[in-house]
Amino acid sequence: MEGIARILRRFVATTIIISFLLLIFNFILLATLIFKEINQKPSPEGMVKELAESLFMLEESYQADAHSYNLLQDTQAWAMLIDDDGDVQWDYHLPNEIPLSYNIVDVAKLSRYYLMDYPVFIWEHQDGLVVLGYPKDSYGKYQLNFLSDWLRSLPLRLLWLLLLNIAVALFISIIIGTRLIRGIRPLVAGVHSLAKDEAVELNTEGILGDLAQSINKGSTILQDKTIALKARDEARSNWIAGISHDIRTPLSMVLGYSSELEENSDLPQEQRAQAAIIRRQGEKLRSLISDLNLVSLLEYEMQPLNMRPLRLSALARQAVADFLNNGLGSQYDIDLKLTEEAIRINGDEKLLLRAINNLVQNCVRHNPQGCSITVETSLDNSRAQYLLIIRDNGKGISIDQLEMITELPYSFNRRRSLQQGHGLGLPMVARIARTHHGSLILNSHPVKEGLEAILEFPVQFNHKTDA
Amino acid sequence: MENVKEKKILIVDDEPEIRMMIEKFLRKEGFFRVYTAGNCASALSICRKDKPDIAILDIMLPDGDGFSLLSSIRQFSNMPILYLSACGEDEDRLLGLGLGADDYIVKPFLPRELLLRLIAILRRVYSFPLAENKTVFQLGDQTIDLDSAIVRNIQEEVHLTAKEHAILVKLFENQGRIVTSDALCQAVWGDDSYGYENTLMVHIRRVREKIEPDPSNPTHLLTVRGLGYKLLVKEKT
Repeated sequence: MEGIARILRRFVATTIIISFLLLIFNFILLATLIFKEINQKPSPEGMVKELAESLFMLEESYQADAHSYNLLQDTQAWAMLIDDDGDVQWDYHLPNEIPLSYNIVDVAKLSRYYLMDYPVFIWEHQDGLVVLGYPKDSYGKYQLNFLSDWLRSLPLRLLWLLLLNIAVALFISIIIGTRLIRGIRPLVAGVHSLAKDEAVELNTEGILGDLAQSINKGSTILQDKTIALKARDEARSNWIAGISHDIRTPLSMVLGYSSELEENSDLPQEQRAQAAIIRRQGEKLRSLISDLNLVSLLEYEMQPLNMRPLRLSALARQAVADFLNNGLGSQYDIDLKLTEEAIRINGDEKLLLRAINNLVQNCVRHNPQGCSITVETSLDNSRAQYLLIIRDNGKGISIDQLEMITELPYSFNRRRSLQQGHGLGLPMVARIARTHHGSLILNSHPVKEGLEAILEFPVQFNHKTDA
Repeated sequence: MENVKEKKILIVDDEPEIRMMIEKFLRKEGFFRVYTAGNCASALSICRKDKPDIAILDIMLPDGDGFSLLSSIRQFSNMPILYLSACGEDEDRLLGLGLGADDYIVKPFLPRELLLRLIAILRRVYSFPLAENKTVFQLGDQTIDLDSAIVRNIQEEVHLTAKEHAILVKLFENQGRIVTSDALCQAVWGDDSYGYENTLMVHIRRVREKIEPDPSNPTHLLTVRGLGYKLLVKEKT
């Protein structure tokens, strides 16, 4: 799953960045927190240096300046000056147990670590060596020795340290990330299924159990709603089918007897003409209920479809030929402009023929004084949609009627009904187009006059053979 | 010659008014042996006893449906069946025809239509001589025999090729009506026949050479520009 890979990638990147920031933060802490109070102020080295520089000979005895004395006093330290022969020439608060004479071994020892457990620090003086002693246990002295090779390779070693750190961070973050993803994956799949309106049943154990439970609940609600909606659609569609079924039998009798009266030569001409009117109106009712049934099946997506790749141009030609064969009045003139005839769309032949027929019929019905009708097929500019355009130069439709003409009559969006026809023709075409993932666009030209109906269908690409 | 009107007709419909109307209409048209039944049971007993020549069946009946009634009838009789139903869905229509019904009419219907279809079935099944069923016809001075794929005139006999024959059959079946070039191609080369339009034109020219006195000024096989072709058959009087 692509989404999960993206999550994992981001997770790892974030982890590495966080590790880096943590490392830098630690360095800062090391400087500010750990190595901050390593010495008291002033540092022993500084103090012994200052002492050595301020110690000078005055009237046969050594004397330090007042500042050094104050410092010594504040730190409770003692001090002495050992001359070149190893004898103490000057001292300050020297503890009793400290010897007053040193050989070279003693000096070597004390210069490194302690003198009688007193941590001592030394500094060079023109007359010998200044020794500064701190109270016992106040300082720890450690000697660090490094191979010079080691020192040289230190940057490389630090680099290795860094790299190993990164590797470990990466490894751990991938492991944690994968485990997290393993927990998330079913949830992600569940949410994706929800989007596709599929039933979801997730395991509700683990840390994300709450979430899984919510997703399951959401799925149940969605499924229930879908089922309820489907049941309602089915009920409505069945209701319309039932009503139209029940109308058929009485209508049979209306048609039957009226046409019998119409043909009865014993009746006066006037009565026969009236019977003919009853018969014609009955036929209108008949076409209305069959249209109503089809529209309701299309509306609730219950019309069985027989989809296959077909050429819209061939259907357009067929529809026009049917009109001419059935005797189109001479006041009408049909012009065919078919292009890109090889293009196929996926469709139900009967429904599409019905749609084209309805559109041409529409031009004929609304322009009884005659008009010229153009049937055109072409590809749109993107070459992804195939268009069937039916245009007439008749009286057209006003703009406000155009907006609602594809709505079902008597529905909320279309309160006014049309004068001619039962008003199901264009809604049916719009629904047929929608069933084919296409659309119906209606334009009425205020200047050029006439109505233009454009049917738009997605082109069937994988079946573009034998051009 | 046996008269069509002498055939026995059974009407099965659960609506008494419909039964009455059809019966009245058929009697007025000259049929006098009309039986009616309101349910499957009585329909079956009439079928056994009176052996009607054709039955008009409704689909929704109080004790079963017209499809199972047809199956029951088929066990002992091969008589033609015409469905007359208020169920106009394609599935019902296909189911009915698939079971071996001869026709399917959806209510509401015009009695005239019912009568025409009824007579057409009776003629076909009981082979009354039919004017429109002949496949030999005259075009001007030529006689075209579609059964043996021959065009005959006073001097000679010309044979039609398979494709020319297929084209003529399709045009003859729809004589006087425009047949689109797509429909012709499909009739000749089968489905997925797009791209044969030019070949079709070549074949049409050859047909014209055989049937038209002046092939470049056709009077029988006409081109309808942009749409297709039309065959005009004028009955010689």
